[in-house]
Amino acid sequence: MNLLGPQRLVVRSLVRAAFSAFVLSVRLRVISPWSYLNWLVFPLLFAIVGLYVLSLPGAGSSHLVYGVLGGGLIGYWSVAYIDAGNGIQDERWNGTLEQIFATPTPLWVILLGKVCGGLLFGLFAFVPTAAAAFFGFHAVLPALDPWRFVISLGVLTLSFFCIAITMAPLFALWRWAFSMINGFELGVYILCGFMFPVAVLAPWAQGVAGFLAPTWAVKALYAATVAQGPHDFAAWWAVTSGLSLAYLAGAYFLYALVEREARVSGELALV
Amino acid sequence: MPAIEARRLRKTYRTTRGVFRRERVEQVALRGVDLAIERGELFGLLGPNGAGKTTMVKIFTTLLLPTSGAAVVLGLDAVRDQWALRRRIGFVFGGERGLYWRLSGLDNLRYFADLYRIPPEVSRRRIPELLERLGLAGRERDRVELYSRGMKQRLHLARGLLNDPEVLFLDEPTIGLDPVGARELRVIVRELADAGKTIFLTTHYMFEADAICDRIAVIKGGEIVAEGTPSSIKTVVQDQGVVEFEVVGMPADRLAGLRTLPGVTSVAVADHELAQVVTIHCARPADVMTQLGLVLDGMTMEKVSSREPTLEDAYVQLIGDSPANSEASP
Repeated sequence: MNLLGPQRLVVRSLVRAAFSAFVLSVRLRVISPWSYLNWLVFPLLFAIVGLYVLSLPGAGSSHLVYGVLGGGLIGYWSVAYIDAGNGIQDERWNGTLEQIFATPTPLWVILLGKVCGGLLFGLFAFVPTAAAAFFGFHAVLPALDPWRFVISLGVLTLSFFCIAITMAPLFALWRWAFSMINGFELGVYILCGFMFPVAVLAPWAQGVAGFLAPTWAVKALYAATVAQGPHDFAAWWAVTSGLSLAYLAGAYFLYALVEREARVSGELALV
Repeated sequence: MPAIEARRLRKTYRTTRGVFRRERVEQVALRGVDLAIERGELFGLLGPNGAGKTTMVKIFTTLLLPTSGAAVVLGLDAVRDQWALRRRIGFVFGGERGLYWRLSGLDNLRYFADLYRIPPEVSRRRIPELLERLGLAGRERDRVELYSRGMKQRLHLARGLLNDPEVLFLDEPTIGLDPVGARELRVIVRELADAGKTIFLTTHYMFEADAICDRIAVIKGGEIVAEGTPSSIKTVVQDQGVVEFEVVGMPADRLAGLRTLPGVTSVAVADHELAQVVTIHCARPADVMTQLGLVLDGMTMEKVSSREPTLEDAYVQLIGDSPANSEASP
């Protein structure tokens, strides 16, 4: 990239601001007991229940991978998405939302850093759930294709990032948006097939699931752990990436709206 | 060119009221304010709660958009030029919120220095300077939750000064501070003004404005009702005196009786522990004092005194007997 001097300084200062927001969000998570519930306790509970049910006599052995990865996926999604909303709400309650809004750093840059902090912590959710599967239930991923698994996880991370950064400004603008957070969180667990295949859902629900980017990445992720096909990884990754970028395009307009509406309503100061 | 200028500045909030039958309402916070503050001035905006002080500060600091009119700071339009303006101004809101309590003071300052996009070599030098200047050196690695209220407010001020702003907005910075903490903060604010910074201070403490401001304006119901130096504002009541006394229980009919006394321009009642302090502004204090006994027949008065009017008396006169207003504040 060949940027001119002043432009390079602008980019560097914005990158520094985003990194600082990332570091702050990680530090706040390290000292917050609540964050340990999200990435450690809740995923572990989901994983243990899932593994127990799926390892009962009569349950399909091919479905055991949903127990191995499902709890981790739920934890990852919860931290990435819920913490994006929680983070904004915490800023509001702390009285820092106005303070950060009034700095020369655009809100999307600050939220980008915060969301990345959430994604990092969210990935930790796979550690306790995989450990529980391995040590508690002697369950492993039967035919793991490491490269496809890593790429699918990367594509899934892109989708979580795009959803979190698109939704986050809504929490800044409207206090009521926070109340819908739990409903959407649960809806994505179910519709995107975190703990069971999307194929078991009603046809209309499968239609809705098709518009959610994580659905395709999760499908690829599970496919990368089992041998039997047919698998169309390239198509699944492409759909996930395409939908994610579409969300991001929507976010562009959403941020412009939030920047303006927040200044009209004075909502940022309200708790 | 003034450092801060408001031209016919107006702000209306749209909100709703009611639970089952929602009704849209509009609340006018500013009603066409005109104001000009020169560079290097320490300007005080006085007014009761809900008068529009915070709204005005938030418009100048780009946090709010005016409904109409213009807000210009350092020649930059606060509506259109927000990104350029935010780099050149600082602001401090009163109260304890607005900091990350679970992080240290130093972490807070480093974070905001990055958000203000201050080069690291500058912030590495400036943060210790500010900590030293504001009396926080040695405590910067403690969590903010362990700070006293005064320390938190000084940390707020340090944050507001991180980008070495040309204009500093202070919204009731001494609210809730103990007298010593408030005095320390006032000294710092005066020093900043003496060092050449333009300061826009809102307060409802008259003595504070009287002590440190070069010029003040009084705002009531979203309108500026007086503007000038503290001495010139006092001329509003220069032909008057003030009679004060304490009484326990002040019936409305007696209060009305006081208001009808010859030469009385205003009567204010304020609770003081179990008693009420009655303040009467009048043309001839001696005449009023002789008639107090007649109006308050049978009531026991204590601490009856007559004195010269202060800035607070001028303020009370300008704001009226009942400073409660219906205007909104975010």
